[in-house]
Amino acid sequence: MTDHLSTATLNALADGELSADQLTSTQEHLAGCQACTSSALFQSLLKSATARAGQRYAAPQELLVRLSPQKLSKFNTRPSISPGLTTATQPQAGANTPPVRYQAVFGWAVAAALLIASLSIILVQRNQQQVAAISQAVSEISDQHIAMLASSQPLAVLSSDRHTVKPWFQGKLPFSFNLPDNLPVDTRLEGANLTYLRNQPVAQLVYSIGNHSVSVFVKPKISSNLPTNFSAESSGFHFISATTATLQFEAISDVDPKRLSQLVDILERTQIQQ
Amino acid sequence: MKLLSWRRAVPQSVPQAVAFEDLALPLASSLYNIAHWLTRSSTEAEDLVQETYLKALRGFAAFEPGTNFKAWIFRILRNTYLTSRSGLAAMRTVALEDELNESSERGHHAYPESAIDRHTPETNLIVLLNRAALESAMQQLPTSLLEVILLCDVEEMKYKEIATVLDIPIGTVMSRIARARAAMRQTLQQHPNYVPESRA
Repeated sequence: MTDHLSTATLNALADGELSADQLTSTQEHLAGCQACTSSALFQSLLKSATARAGQRYAAPQELLVRLSPQKLSKFNTRPSISPGLTTATQPQAGANTPPVRYQAVFGWAVAAALLIASLSIILVQRNQQQVAAISQAVSEISDQHIAMLASSQPLAVLSSDRHTVKPWFQGKLPFSFNLPDNLPVDTRLEGANLTYLRNQPVAQLVYSIGNHSVSVFVKPKISSNLPTNFSAESSGFHFISATTATLQFEAISDVDPKRLSQLVDILERTQIQQ
Repeated sequence: MKLLSWRRAVPQSVPQAVAFEDLALPLASSLYNIAHWLTRSSTEAEDLVQETYLKALRGFAAFEPGTNFKAWIFRILRNTYLTSRSGLAAMRTVALEDELNESSERGHHAYPESAIDRHTPETNLIVLLNRAALESAMQQLPTSLLEVILLCDVEEMKYKEIATVLDIPIGTVMSRIARARAAMRQTLQQHPNYVPESRA
């Protein structure tokens, strides 16, 4: 037992977290205790010195520019890019207009060039929209998969039995799907979660392939900028998307892409067969 | 799985976008500084801050005006960091140590009282003025202690705000602050200018 102030009190004093009563009694103690006064001074100096040393990294100017809501919106929602591109191209077109005496000769050529340029811009925009949509989908799926891996909570339904996992979703999803009976070698159904992607409830089926965890998100097929079937890689994770007539499957894992593809193929075929 | 509020958000309207800018942009430097400390990489820090702003912008409709915006956006930054590769690695490394320490806090000895220097030679105060020594001491802290000391000392957040950002009880905030300062002190004691004190 010590008569000195506790570590917690000294820290709270330095951090300005003591109540009025605590502060009064602490100050009374400090008035008569040189050792604690010295400790309090050290704690206070350590705090202010840490504050100074902690202000170490200044944000780059380019980042600050990128963080404006207009820029973020542009990054987030591709359609807002279109008007900007259109207006940006108009002055250039005007500036490239040939002199009057050449108009008769080059008129059609300019029109053709503008047409080609417009088509190119449309194609580039479509490509950009598709790339952005894929990037957004992969990012969201990765977040969900990583969160599942990091979570200490068990899956909402823990079972390797497809007749347990599938019925669990009854009443929770506005669609249904089939689960395969025969899985590839070393592949096992671990369970499932109900989760949300793009504000829609979806089934997150969790499989294991060897020691690798796989998340397969099942949702209704909707029209979007995403291509129907595609694969991608992000931060070491492989991502495969496949669609049937009514459903879309998005699978993610760090397992060999061929084995991930096998699982997705079986899931896809199961929807047609059953 | 818990649905994060920004995932449920509806697209923001123009007045909200203006308000978001007013609230969020002044915090950009602070967020970047914390992100850089946590990720230890300028590129990752930039990505982390940009992702944080995207999530905050998407979820801004769910933010209640008048509540603590700084704690709200720092919590988004911290959660985003936790789901990043470096965040997962850092938190896994300290998870066991943290569990052991926090379980012992529920017992009699929350943290060693010997961590406090009752007789500080004036020369030791000089060590505190050595920025490189302090930065090194901070860099050696595990992530769970570094983040609490950054929020407390650098961002000058109250214990209650830190508890909100980190989603931990105030008691855990206090014990982590004590452990962080004790660990920093221990590191600083190894500095050549540090004079070991003799206890009365």
